[in-house]
Amino acid sequence: MLLLKLAFRNILRQRRRTILTVLSMTGGYILCCLSFSLTEGSYKNVIRIFTMDHTGHIQIHRDDYLQRPKVFKGIDDTPQQRQEILSQPGVHSIAPRVFAPALAYAGTRNTPVQIVGIEPQLEKTTSRLFDKVNQGQYFDVNLNADGYYSAMLGMGVAESLQIKIGDELILISQGADGSIANDIYIVTALVGTRNSWDRNKVYLPLSVAQEFLSFYGKVHQYSLLLADESAVDSITQSLTTALPTLTINPWMQVEATFYNSMEADKRGNRFTLLIIVFIVFIGVLNTVLMSVLERTREFGVLKAIGSRPGTIAGLILIETMMLAIMSLLVGVVIAAPIIAWFALRGIALPDPIDMGGIEFGFMTGEFSVGVFAWPMLLIMAFAIAVSIPPGIRAARVSPTRAMGSF
Amino acid sequence: MNLTLHAALLILTVTFAGLCHADLNSKATSAERAKKLIDDMEALYRGDISKALITMQVVTPQYQRSMEMVSMNQGRDNAFIRILSPKKDRGIATLKLDQEMWNYFPKINKVIKVPPSMMMGSWMGSDFTNDDLVKQTTLTEEYDLALVETVDHYTITLTPQSQTVTVWGKIDYVIDKTNLVPVSQRFYDDNNVMVRHLEFSELRDYSGRLLPSRLEMIPLNKPGHKTLVIYESLNFEPIDVNDSDFTLRNLQSRF
Repeated sequence: MLLLKLAFRNILRQRRRTILTVLSMTGGYILCCLSFSLTEGSYKNVIRIFTMDHTGHIQIHRDDYLQRPKVFKGIDDTPQQRQEILSQPGVHSIAPRVFAPALAYAGTRNTPVQIVGIEPQLEKTTSRLFDKVNQGQYFDVNLNADGYYSAMLGMGVAESLQIKIGDELILISQGADGSIANDIYIVTALVGTRNSWDRNKVYLPLSVAQEFLSFYGKVHQYSLLLADESAVDSITQSLTTALPTLTINPWMQVEATFYNSMEADKRGNRFTLLIIVFIVFIGVLNTVLMSVLERTREFGVLKAIGSRPGTIAGLILIETMMLAIMSLLVGVVIAAPIIAWFALRGIALPDPIDMGGIEFGFMTGEFSVGVFAWPMLLIMAFAIAVSIPPGIRAARVSPTRAMGSF
Repeated sequence: MNLTLHAALLILTVTFAGLCHADLNSKATSAERAKKLIDDMEALYRGDISKALITMQVVTPQYQRSMEMVSMNQGRDNAFIRILSPKKDRGIATLKLDQEMWNYFPKINKVIKVPPSMMMGSWMGSDFTNDDLVKQTTLTEEYDLALVETVDHYTITLTPQSQTVTVWGKIDYVIDKTNLVPVSQRFYDDNNVMVRHLEFSELRDYSGRLLPSRLEMIPLNKPGHKTLVIYESLNFEPIDVNDSDFTLRNLQSRF
């Protein structure tokens, strides 16, 4: 208690120095908070964008289909299999898919495409495909009046083929049994934009795609959405145990390029912040050391009257901690409204930037406990570290020499 | 020099020349024999005109598939193949005229010409290439032939001539001496590594001609893959095969 009073009195002795030191630590803290908030927020946003758009949070495949997609690597698609997956806690929805590369012909033009077989109703629950239809109608699995099945095209395909709603589309590919897959479909919808993920895709109803590829009763992928996106790792674990014959790929593996560049970017950021905070604390060290050196006489007196060295070191530590706590309080008060604004609004980027194939145009921030807490811990840790050398210096003061120095 | 030595030298030279000539002659006939053998083997399943019913089985580690087709041949240059089963492939047809090749897909009503770049691609997903159907007929013209004779077999080694465009560094043709039918063909790449081999077996009588009814193509670079061709019937005097069968129009006609 006495120590606290002493410490408090000591720091108030040099008001201006105290305020300046506190402000520099506050600056460091606010910088850390903002940086954390912006990187976490932006990335979370991007991740949400592609997981909700087409990737899903977790994808299930057979063997190494993700790394080496081959048309014959299929999962036996049964209602029991789907139920087994859906019954796992945390799994919100499931969508089966079939993929195959193909050549699309329309009139005299042709272009390479990727066929995606989807179940129209289930796909709505795990991706935004339905909302991305910008011409025509989202299809269903039925034959149309003329006896043709429907197809939905990405904008890239539509432009290459100069094709419109109602036109015939010819698809040629190799079936899962090696035969030549070929058939005609009618275009009922165009989806997405010229740059979106689906620009070179041709969507077919799942059973239609299975028949086209002679791939009956099988799918290449189950795409899952989770109720809580942060539970990806734990649910991946539980699914791996529950389904030993299949491969469970969380989105970090599906979008590995993006994930790796994101992690590298975050690490780079944190390193830069570490350096900045380090520089701030060199200044703080300077201040604390100065205040210790000019009180050498005082410490000499204290030790002469019986204070333990530990007590004196402790006093320095408490003084520094007080400075840190004051700076944190001020920091939170200033940073909170700024970060709240970032979280709600964000900075509009003049040119949308591309990272790992995903584009984003707004820099939003995240408002959460972690954003404020981690920088706090950092500042505290540095404060403690910085108070040790002066503290030891003060504790080692020899009373006689101290008092005789002036 | 005296007369005796002169005479001796003359006799020696003449004998030597004679021997060389005889040797050259046998070499020439050896190459000619090889050419005739290959030509005969190539024409074995074709004749001047023929119609065959063929079953083709494609086997891979992932799937197995069986097709039935009718195949018509006219001389060395023209061939027409139409798939009869399975139902989803029925009507798919291939036309070969000299060195050109077209495929027809009835479901999409499209005739697609097979470009030179796709010649080494597989025919209908089997282990036979498009080139196998097209180029086979020029083996004797574009390759150098070397014949080795044993008690039972003729083995002819074909090496491509300098201007020949091919992926094979060497082809070994083994022919049964007794029946004059092919036994096997082995295909090697430029590094003399065997890439695939074709085995002929199960002799059958086709209207008086004895031929292997079973052809098995085994690629060595794809373990577990093979294609089996079985000649269910082979008619060398077909009454229903004529010139109009070897046209693009016939690809799309009803049958």
